[in-house]
Amino acid sequence: MRDQVDEIRKRGAELAIVGNGATHFAAAFREDFELDGPLLVDPELRAYRAAGLRRGRVEILSPRLLGAGLRATRAGYRQTSVEGDPWQLGGVFVIRPGGALAYRFASRDAGDHAPIEEILAALEPGAPEVAEEAPRSELLASVSRAVSLIADPLIVPSFDRGGFRLHALAFDPDDLEVDLTGRRCLVTGANSGIGYETALALADLGAEVLLLCRSPERGAEAAERIATATGNAKVRCETVDLSDLASIRDFATRLDDAPVDVLVHNAGVLPEERAETKDGLELCFATHVAGPHLLTRLLRGRLEASTDARVVWVSSGGMYTRRLQVEDPGWRDREDGYNGVLAYAETKRAQVVLAEMWARELEGTKVCVNAMHPGWADTPAVRSSLPRFHRVTSAILRSPAEGADTVVWLAAAGAASGLAGRFVFDREPRRTHLLPGTRESEEERDTLWQLCEEIAEAAGDRSAS
Amino acid sequence: MHLSTRLGALTLDDWSGSPVALASLWREKPVVLVFIRHFG
Repeated sequence: MRDQVDEIRKRGAELAIVGNGATHFAAAFREDFELDGPLLVDPELRAYRAAGLRRGRVEILSPRLLGAGLRATRAGYRQTSVEGDPWQLGGVFVIRPGGALAYRFASRDAGDHAPIEEILAALEPGAPEVAEEAPRSELLASVSRAVSLIADPLIVPSFDRGGFRLHALAFDPDDLEVDLTGRRCLVTGANSGIGYETALALADLGAEVLLLCRSPERGAEAAERIATATGNAKVRCETVDLSDLASIRDFATRLDDAPVDVLVHNAGVLPEERAETKDGLELCFATHVAGPHLLTRLLRGRLEASTDARVVWVSSGGMYTRRLQVEDPGWRDREDGYNGVLAYAETKRAQVVLAEMWARELEGTKVCVNAMHPGWADTPAVRSSLPRFHRVTSAILRSPAEGADTVVWLAAAGAASGLAGRFVFDREPRRTHLLPGTRESEEERDTLWQLCEEIAEAAGDRSAS
Repeated sequence: MHLSTRLGALTLDDWSGSPVALASLWREKPVVLVFIRHFG
């Protein structure tokens, strides 16, 4: 390896290595191979995922999928040990100053290595840039649609990362070849996970992005990372707690009157025990339903002032399991006591209903409202709130960026503007009910809307708008 | 989104435990960024 390092340096480049084990293994590796360049560790596989590198043996639509959970448990167990993730495959990239990609190689299996001659050739002066992603094939797109028809009702091979790859074959890469310069985007809960990836992607497309975060420190840190990575200076954090109606009202009051082009309702919580906010609301209901409703109301005028506004509600596939609950949304009087997962799912169902009702409310304006679900994504929230789910499914979870894809598409793509009111997953409108007994009545929908309106009015939004 | 933007947003620890912003790897000269399966 030493000789190869010399060859690379002779061509004015540097070799940097990323491994997925612990630091002391990296230190030993460095000694064994006499390396003196950058050697990084990535035990959480964040860079591997950002680079789109494969994990071995988990393939879409194979009978192996059923075994994936079992293997994931095994892998998850091993992941905590010092060897790193045994299923992760490697790859090689050559990146030039400014960010252009001169070489891309992703291993298909454990024995698949990038030839050194190809890497060195990419370092020669005048070597061409390579495509970021494989161009879309119309044939693959139709195969994807056909297979999706069969696979999607089975949930697992659809919500997981295999499902994303399958659906992504039908994506039109031109949809996100857009310039968002001059557009103002607000993303709640944007300091990590899907919110962060959404903010990053919108900033990368040139938009002014406001990260609405509860923690000023984490929010400012995320904004700085995004500004550095994208070179877009119009990224900043605003401290807003979506579970606190006064905090939302304060934000709406201090925000200037310029149009708001994109509002992404992403902030979420999954409490273990019933918690009540200052306003006397159950925490999930406040954060996912009452807070975003109030924020939408307060920003309504600024959204309508945009030439093409988008409001995106980030719901969850978990909402399919629950019916809209308007009898006791505060969980004051339930027979079996409080259950955070059910409270989460019920309020995610309420978001889907509210998004449809907002779409109707804003019909005839230039504001397009959608709810979506990201599939099963590996985010900090899932890790901390659903550790068992995370352990069993970690091998098949989507990356946060894959989970954010449809949010970004709904916020930015021209093609999405025709889908007002629809519930979207992987850039396609989907059914909002899959299970019997989950369909709500018109009266229940109206009750939800009335409830949200009453809460907003009690919070005194009139004076602010 | 470009691969370099996505990777450039990340910070990882190096072998000695010090944080390194990935974007710094290609700021001055080209980098051959190798992702290995595991150490050793």
